[in-house]
Amino acid sequence: MNTLNIGGSQLDTSWFLLLSAILFVLGAVGVLVRRNPLVILISIELMLNAANLTLVTFSRQLQNLDGQLFALMSMTVAAAEAVVGLAILVDIFRTRDVEDVDELSELRG
Amino acid sequence: MSNQTLALLILIFPAAGAILLAGRGWRLPRIFTVLVGPGVVWASFVCVLALFAGKAAGDFTYWTWIKSGTFEVPFNLLIDNLSIFMCLVITGVGGLIVSYAVGYMEHEDDPSYARFFCYMDVFIFSMLLLVLAGNFVFLITGWALVGLSSYLLIGFWYQRHSAVVAARKAFVMNVIGDVGMILGTFIVFLDFQSVRFGDVFRALAPRANCQGTQVCAYRFFFDTGSLELAAFLFLVGAVAKSAQLPLHTWLPDAMEGPTPVSALIHAATMVTAGVYLVGRLHPIYDVAVYAHGAVAIVGAVTALFAATIAIVQTDIKRVLAYSTMSQIGYMFLAVGIGAYTAGFFHLLSHAFFKALLFMAAGNVIHAMHDEQDMRKYGGLWNQMRPTSIAFLVGSLSLVGVFPFVGFFSKEQILGAAFSKPDDTVVHFLWFIGFVTALITGFYTGRMWWLSFWGKPSPQRPVEHPHEAPPVMFVPVATLAVLATVGGLLQTKALGFGTDEVSNFLSSAVGPERWEGGGAEIALTLLTMLLAAALFVWAMRMRPWTAYAPWAQRLLERKYYFDEIYDAVFVRPLDWVAGFLQRDVERPVIDAAVVDTGALARWSAGELSLTQSGYFRNYVLVFVVGVVSIAGVLLLVRALT
Repeated sequence: MNTLNIGGSQLDTSWFLLLSAILFVLGAVGVLVRRNPLVILISIELMLNAANLTLVTFSRQLQNLDGQLFALMSMTVAAAEAVVGLAILVDIFRTRDVEDVDELSELRG
Repeated sequence: MSNQTLALLILIFPAAGAILLAGRGWRLPRIFTVLVGPGVVWASFVCVLALFAGKAAGDFTYWTWIKSGTFEVPFNLLIDNLSIFMCLVITGVGGLIVSYAVGYMEHEDDPSYARFFCYMDVFIFSMLLLVLAGNFVFLITGWALVGLSSYLLIGFWYQRHSAVVAARKAFVMNVIGDVGMILGTFIVFLDFQSVRFGDVFRALAPRANCQGTQVCAYRFFFDTGSLELAAFLFLVGAVAKSAQLPLHTWLPDAMEGPTPVSALIHAATMVTAGVYLVGRLHPIYDVAVYAHGAVAIVGAVTALFAATIAIVQTDIKRVLAYSTMSQIGYMFLAVGIGAYTAGFFHLLSHAFFKALLFMAAGNVIHAMHDEQDMRKYGGLWNQMRPTSIAFLVGSLSLVGVFPFVGFFSKEQILGAAFSKPDDTVVHFLWFIGFVTALITGFYTGRMWWLSFWGKPSPQRPVEHPHEAPPVMFVPVATLAVLATVGGLLQTKALGFGTDEVSNFLSSAVGPERWEGGGAEIALTLLTMLLAAALFVWAMRMRPWTAYAPWAQRLLERKYYFDEIYDAVFVRPLDWVAGFLQRDVERPVIDAAVVDTGALARWSAGELSLTQSGYFRNYVLVFVVGVVSIAGVLLLVRALT
């Protein structure tokens, strides 16, 4: 049983996984190539939600609610992480105007 | 107060005194030091007197210090007549000497003054612990602590290079003895499974009331070989502490310390610890006959050896140091032939007259502004009459002239050696002792006439010396009285009269075993007359050394012992140490350590390049890592 019933129509599970993979890669590439700290945070959220999508997909396919619960949990953690990340950013912005994360390289060896 | 508490108080007083004077005690007015320093010693003396008067005896255990399997070290004090006797000498003569030091050290500044009395109290505490200890472990503790306090006090004037070197020499020599003590204790523990004196001596005691085939002497169950070894190792300790041959070279150098130290540690108490040790361990030495004989031989040879060196010394304290070695040699001779009570009587009398001699010499040195060369004195008889008389009393006692205490104690030792039946070796040792007694007469006479008689030397540093203040003279006078009348305690050398010391000690070390006869008393008087004649003859002494310059050189060089030790031990060790430093430590050990450090530094420099500080670099590494792990996992799954 490799299909899911979405709104009355049958869709193959791999489409969902493909979407999730695309979202994840988009997020990862965003973290890698964007310079603006806020955008990087958003990209991280994207990666997290890609993972959530995978969890929910398998949860539906396997008729097991554990995955859904785990997705909920993951969203909570994501919210907390966003709070912490934004707080750090706000603190950095208070002391100086950062547009490029490469400017934050004081820990260079 | 119970005896148990009193015994502990003996130790607590000096320890408390030392603690009070340590640290910042010197900031208080000087009267505090003056009261505490000698005061605690006298307080201990009172406790000892109380035990003495109460005829106390017992083995008091206070707590268990170490317990591990069958090995148990209690903190116990052994109170018997021997330890009380020693405590009386230590706190009594010690109290006099520490009081004397109040005057002698008065030119020191406040911190040094307090430091001096702190060290003195540490010494008294250690010596009391040594003689009161009821087991081998605390005996060694006290043994090592007296070595430490001796080191501290010899090096008291630490700004003087020679004092520091002398202190170090004394410490090293004493540690050789400590090692002997520790190894001996190991053997005793292996043999008896206990370190308590009581257990060991009970096991060695001959069994009474045995009948028929039963073995009467329990001691023969033991391997006497291992006991001999233990006894020889303890003898190493005794020889090092008591400055006997061949570990004697530290004592003359120890005269670098202040004169009260020489009187207390290097004449009256610490150096007699070896005699105490042999007496305390007499059940072991009674079984270990070869080690016991070695004690006597070492003593007799040292007595003669040190007396001959004393003939040519010119430093007054060094003459006294060599005569101390010589007199302790007599004590070793006595305990070595089993005449324990004679040895301890000489210990007591020696404490009286040698402390007296040192303190009287201290008065002279004090008056002469620290000049110690006797050739630069002369003519003090008219200017320092009381000190001269005190010194004369001490000298005559040292020579062994009736009626001073030295006569009775020394002649008792010689008499015991002479009248020991059927023992050629001991009779030969008696002859050595006899010759030594004559030499003693000569060098003591030379010292006294040179210092006090004749005309003042032109090189004398002080034209009109002042007599010592009362605080210094009263202890000297007290000891002079004791040295004069002390002989009445035991007049055995004359063959009649009282026998107090022997009676007192016989419960701890056994009674005197053989009786002398008329020949012994005749020889005693002959020895005294010859020694006294030599004492007088020394006044008109011609410079005999001109006829035998080689002999003078040999004696002035102290039989080349320092040179021999230097060549045999010090220089080879120096060479080995130099070799190891030059060719092993620097190229191998140092290089390995330095190169390890250099490697770490270099690799850190290289690796730090990866820490670019750029966020994207870290993320890239992370992503690449995750992707490669995932790739590897997929590959593995695909292949299996």
